[in-house]
Amino acid sequence: MENTMITKQPLAEAMPVKRYQASIKAWCMDVLLWSYSFLVLYKLGYQSWWLDLRHVDFFWSEPLYSLLVGGLVASVLSYTKASVGKACYGLIAFDEGRSLFRTASVRLGLLFLLLTFIAGLQISQVSMREFFSDSGLAGAQRIFTALLNPNFAIFEDALFAAVETVYMAFIATALAIPVAFVLAFFAARNLMKNSALSFAIYAVLRFLMNLTRSIEPLVWAIIFSVWVGIGPFSGMLALFLHSVASLTKLYSEQIEAIQDGPVEAMTATGAHPIQVIWYGVVPQVVLPYLSYTIYRWDINVRMATVIGLVGGGGIGTMLMQYQGLARWNDVGMLVIVIAAIVWLMDYASAKIRAHLK
Amino acid sequence: MTLLRSEHLCKTYPNGTQALNQINFSVEEGEFLVVIGLSGSGKSTLLRCINQLHPVSSGAIHFEQQRLDQLQGRALRQQRSRIGMIFQQFNLIPRKSVLTNVLAGALASTPIWKSLLGLYSKEQREQALAYLRIVGLEHKAYVRADNLSGGQQQRVAIARALMQNPKILLADEPVASLDPSTSHSVMKYLQKINRELGVTVICNLHFLSLVRTYASRVLALKDGKIVYQGAPEDIDEQWFTTIYGEEAVEVSIN
Repeated sequence: MENTMITKQPLAEAMPVKRYQASIKAWCMDVLLWSYSFLVLYKLGYQSWWLDLRHVDFFWSEPLYSLLVGGLVASVLSYTKASVGKACYGLIAFDEGRSLFRTASVRLGLLFLLLTFIAGLQISQVSMREFFSDSGLAGAQRIFTALLNPNFAIFEDALFAAVETVYMAFIATALAIPVAFVLAFFAARNLMKNSALSFAIYAVLRFLMNLTRSIEPLVWAIIFSVWVGIGPFSGMLALFLHSVASLTKLYSEQIEAIQDGPVEAMTATGAHPIQVIWYGVVPQVVLPYLSYTIYRWDINVRMATVIGLVGGGGIGTMLMQYQGLARWNDVGMLVIVIAAIVWLMDYASAKIRAHLK
Repeated sequence: MTLLRSEHLCKTYPNGTQALNQINFSVEEGEFLVVIGLSGSGKSTLLRCINQLHPVSSGAIHFEQQRLDQLQGRALRQQRSRIGMIFQQFNLIPRKSVLTNVLAGALASTPIWKSLLGLYSKEQREQALAYLRIVGLEHKAYVRADNLSGGQQQRVAIARALMQNPKILLADEPVASLDPSTSHSVMKYLQKINRELGVTVICNLHFLSLVRTYASRVLALKDGKIVYQGAPEDIDEQWFTTIYGEEAVEVSIN
């Protein structure tokens, strides 16, 4: 076999074409960064803070102008070393002996970060005055007094609602296991890469699962509460769907991490592919599967309380109702029950998972 | 009688590496053929091309009356079940008992649904225990396979291969992960099944001292080509440097 030496070359000395592409990308990055900064400075710094306008109008011409100005600045600076883009794409050779904070591009990058931080404070309306205002503190005192004096009269109701939540989370997890178990094999790259058809199935499945996972269970609960009506069933469906997507991903990653040896050995005995999976793959993944599944139940209980807020049933729905009526003593009771359950599930699942290792 | 024949066998991996180049050899029934060569010379690829774990690029593999390289699906699995294989890393199923591991050798002759439920017949269980007795591990039948020592695991792997009732046993560097004394013990078991059960063995080895002790015939590979075929006693100093290169020094294992 030919022995080829592969050395990583810094881009500063690399081929001209590569260098050309990189400098275009670096320029685009600089343009975006500078136009972003100008836009933020103009809208938040000038209009909102300096002019102190209550309502700031937005025109689409504004980002266009900032793009123009940003482009100009970036073009001028691209001839100097003060360019974040050039630093990111390795077009500037860093001086090893010098501190990074004395480099123009790094300082510039930090400046962009600082601008974003300040803009974030402004947009989030962070205000110490509100936090420590008299009316604010009085409100805080009122609600904390009520929360710390929970209404024990509703303890039974709260407990039953909590039991509903735990069961709902359990059945969502239990129903998700077999579905995710089967789907995981089709979502595992190492089992599916062999033919074009199987790889297409893999890619489509991965995409659908990522899509399902990226939509919060809260949103699914809203969708299902319209579909099957408000109540634990819609909450269960939301948790089920999300659990299938998550468990499929976790399971398939576990399959991708197995050792090939037993699979190869089973294939060599002349076993059918189903037998190869059952004997070569499954024994390697059961324990991690169990561990993930219990963790998932734990997460589902926690999520189920939140899902109740949008009509997914259980203790969350109860919480929403009392909160709407501003009955803070009752809410206090519910918060205690929720905290107790979440703590208990967390403790139990951690204990079980520790023993599974 | 010729059991296995390789004709103009070539193997090129998808990344462009040519692992085997025009390999021609045949194996007679009852032989203990040892394949030697440096790492990367194509020994492992050769064994995996025989039972089609790796598809061949061109050429033919004849096993009895069949062309293994042209078989697919059920027919291929049936022929594979008559070729046992053991590996350098033993490749036992983790977390399963020794007996389950040995029974896995009978998967090809067990209906799928039965094997999924672990329903093996009484004869199969007795046979598995009998093969464990042959490799001296009957008392470990219900121990978890990953709790055994390396040498013991390799003996379980041999029992699993025997469970297939094979005509040929392929052994891919079976002792490379073992210490010297365990190596000899495992090689003795291979010799035993070769002589007493009449199973033909094709074995990849590193140590020439082991080759001289156990091989009935030797095949040497270099850069994917056969550079030597003959009796183990005939490998002299000159052949040694041809196979292993100028700088190699022979080390022995006792």
